[in-house]
Amino acid sequence: MPADLNMKVLVVDDMSTMRRIVKNILKQLGFVNLEEAENGEQALTKLRAEPFGFVVSDWNMPVMQGIEMLRAIRADEQLKHIPVLMVTAEAQKENLIEAIQAGVNNYVVKPFTAETMQEKINKIFNK
Amino acid sequence: MIPRSSLNGSSLSASAGSDDAAPSEAQLYEQLGELARFIDTTLKTITQFSDPMSETTEQLPQAATHLRDLKKLTEEGTHRIMQLVEAVENNRVNMLARLDDAARTLTGPADAARFTDTLNALRKNLEADEKPLVDIITTLAFQDLVAQRVNKLVTIIDEVEHKLLQLVVVFGPYKKGAALADPGKAGDMLKQLDASKTTAMDQNLADEILKQFGFN
Repeated sequence: MPADLNMKVLVVDDMSTMRRIVKNILKQLGFVNLEEAENGEQALTKLRAEPFGFVVSDWNMPVMQGIEMLRAIRADEQLKHIPVLMVTAEAQKENLIEAIQAGVNNYVVKPFTAETMQEKINKIFNK
Repeated sequence: MIPRSSLNGSSLSASAGSDDAAPSEAQLYEQLGELARFIDTTLKTITQFSDPMSETTEQLPQAATHLRDLKKLTEEGTHRIMQLVEAVENNRVNMLARLDDAARTLTGPADAARFTDTLNALRKNLEADEKPLVDIITTLAFQDLVAQRVNKLVTIIDEVEHKLLQLVVVFGPYKKGAALADPGKAGDMLKQLDASKTTAMDQNLADEILKQFGFN
């Protein structure tokens, strides 16, 4: 099923510039309802407060890393269904395998192109 | 108190006669003298290094502050560039809308004047893009500012490293690999930085691995 462009999408990254880039790309793909968080803990607070349809997250963040946030999402009955795309500079095979084992839906390595992100989002929602 | 002269004779003959005899007072005084000289030398060496140590303890936090400033500098520069690019993108969207409008509404010879107006408007839009495009190039000069500060910080860190090594040489033998016993967070960060240069995978390899795990 294609992505619902009106669903709430949460962009999680400690760098404001990266959040802006990801939001820009998502807007170009047609997503209109975008929110941001600076770290995993802030993200979980937002996810528990209102319904989100998709999370795009970095790995390396202060307070709570993306991988811990992912595990917390998958452990939470209310949140475990939310697709999570990791967009990260952690480009070691071990990181990717750890993310897969934690339940990530797909993985983009920084630096990335808009086309790569679109391809990954399509793969998540058109399964 | 026993006079030294009688002690010398009796203790020396005692020590000469037996290997198990306690050290004589003279030997004790000699050892104490050596110890005092060693303490004096050490104190002088410590004093010699107290200034460089003070400088080091002040310089390192300052260097860390400058590095944090760099992060802010690059963040501000990047936001500025993105703002300019967004202005060009918006302008482009407006131009495309005008072209679509023109294609829809201009159909006959009477529309020539309107067509000319549309073309002039498009020309103005294109001209308006010139400033943000030039500003993008000039804003990228933040990289030069960052590079200059990085050079200075590298110089500071080199000097601090040199001073710390001097201390290590003076106060004790350098044990190679001692840092590995407890590398701490700095050790982890260094490993990650090294790994990002040597064993980082690109998106193609990531996709190969994802495929192996059933991600299409």
